[in-house]
This record gives sequence, structure tokens and C-alpha cells, in this order.
Amino acid sequence: MAIIIVMSIGFLIGYFIFPKKWKGKNDRIQILLTTLLIFSMGVSLGSRENFLKDIIGMGWESLVLCVLPIIGSIIVVYGLSIVAFKNKKH
Amino acid sequence: MVVLAIIALFLGIICGNLVFPEQITNYLSGVSDYILYLLMFCVGISVGMNKMVFQKIKEYHFKIFIIPIGIIIGSIIGGACSVLILDIPLNECIAVASGLGWYSLTGILLSNLGGATLGTIGFLSNLMREIISFMIIPYIAKRFNKFTAIAPAAATSEDTTLYIIMKSTSEEVVIMAIFNGVICSAMVPILIKIFYPMFL
Repeated sequence: MAIIIVMSIGFLIGYFIFPKKWKGKNDRIQILLTTLLIFSMGVSLGSRENFLKDIIGMGWESLVLCVLPIIGSIIVVYGLSIVAFKNKKH
Repeated sequence: MVVLAIIALFLGIICGNLVFPEQITNYLSGVSDYILYLLMFCVGISVGMNKMVFQKIKEYHFKIFIIPIGIIIGSIIGGACSVLILDIPLNECIAVASGLGWYSLTGILLSNLGGATLGTIGFLSNLMREIISFMIIPYIAKRFNKFTAIAPAAATSEDTTLYIIMKSTSEEVVIMAIFNGVICSAMVPILIKIFYPMFL
């Protein structure tokens, strides 16, 4: 919950007072923080004992959890778009 | 960004496996909570700065929400179906699918909630979503319709996959793709926070 609150505070600051000229700086900070966090995720992953064995299983699980949501999204959006944008279909 | 993320992940794995002693590993996971808060604050600023999006809501009314709503529902259904194939609990499957292609944030959030294994699955799965989207968007735009071309891209439709969507569709769809990306991106942390504690 705290994460959502922090994000909402950021949202309000971005909407009302954050200067446009600092947009690039904000983007760069995000890239830096993201890289740090992914590095830290890698560290906790690498420090596990059965790391090599685990990573093979994870690849297959990740693929399934990628392909099925893509198929689901395509089916639902296609269905909804036919109903909602009837006249605009090319 | 993709290259940077993959390098950071690999360097982290090498350091965790071979270089860092246990104290540093524990210290890092403690500090990462604070880095995450700072990141979410900056993400909030980016979403809030996108004022063009709010103008578009007035223009298109509720219809502009149809694509992000469809993507979110479809992704959650797809994630839930994965439970039939994988030996992963339903809440984790749906939480990974709720990443909507935003691999970095999903990896970080799920690592924070459910540990490094779930975080890595969240990262890899959503990274694959972005890469596969690049490959299939032109085909989806032809085979289905131009609005459906945004579906695989999900949260990435405002930045990384925008160019390929633009190439495969029209300007009108590009505006919808940007709007969709902002809405999906804002929803990722909310969906993960809602679905991860569910069905336990």
C-alpha cells in the first residue's frame, strides 16, 4: 500500500508542480534506480544454492506466463474493438 | 534499456554467486526497499506529467479505456490459465501476468513481495512479452485490426513498441497506444499489489 501512496504523491507533484525542463533528469534517475534494483535482484538470485538448476525451469515458466497473457489480451481486445469501434474498422 | 537491464541482471548474478559475501547480499536487499520507494515516486511524476493523456480522455470519452481494460482482463485470464500448465500458485501466475510487459518494475516488485525466484520469472516473462510484441505486432495489425495491434504491447505501447505500432497502424492508433501505455503502466503496481495477496 505504501508504494501506491508514494506513487500517488509523485503523480500529484508531476501533474501540478514538477517543471517540464526536469523531465529528462527524472527519466535518467528512473533508469539509474531501475538498473540498481535489477542488479540487486540478480545478487539475491545468484546467491541461492541451486541457482543454475533453477534458472532452466524459470525460462519455461516465464515463456508460458508471457505467451498466454498475450493470447488472452489479443482475444479480449479484438472482441471489444469489434463492438466499440464498429465504424472505424479498416 | 533492455541491454542495460540484462547486463545489470547478469552482473548481479555473478556478484551474488561468486563475489559478494553474505553480509553485502543481505544489506543490498534491505536497501533495495528504499530504492524502490524512490523509483515509484519518480514513476508517479512521469505519469502525472503526461497531461496530453487527460485531454484525450475528454475527446474519446470512455471508448479510449476499452483497449487498456481489454488488455488487463485478457492478461489476467491468460495468467490464470497458466496455472493449468505450471506448478506455480494462481496468485503468482496472475501477479506475473499483471506486469503487462513492464519487466523491470514487475521483477523488482515481485522480488520484493515473493522473493528472487518469483522476481526473476516476472522479469523474464515480461521481457519476453516486449520482445515477442516487436515480432508479432505487424502480423496482428493485418490479421485482426489496428486496435488489436496494441494488445500484445500492453504497458510498453507508450515507449519501446510505439514505433512498430506506428509503422503497422495509423496516427489515430498511435495516440491510443500512448494513452494505453500510460494507463497500463499506472495499473501495473496496483494490479500486482491486488493480486499477489489473493487466493492464498
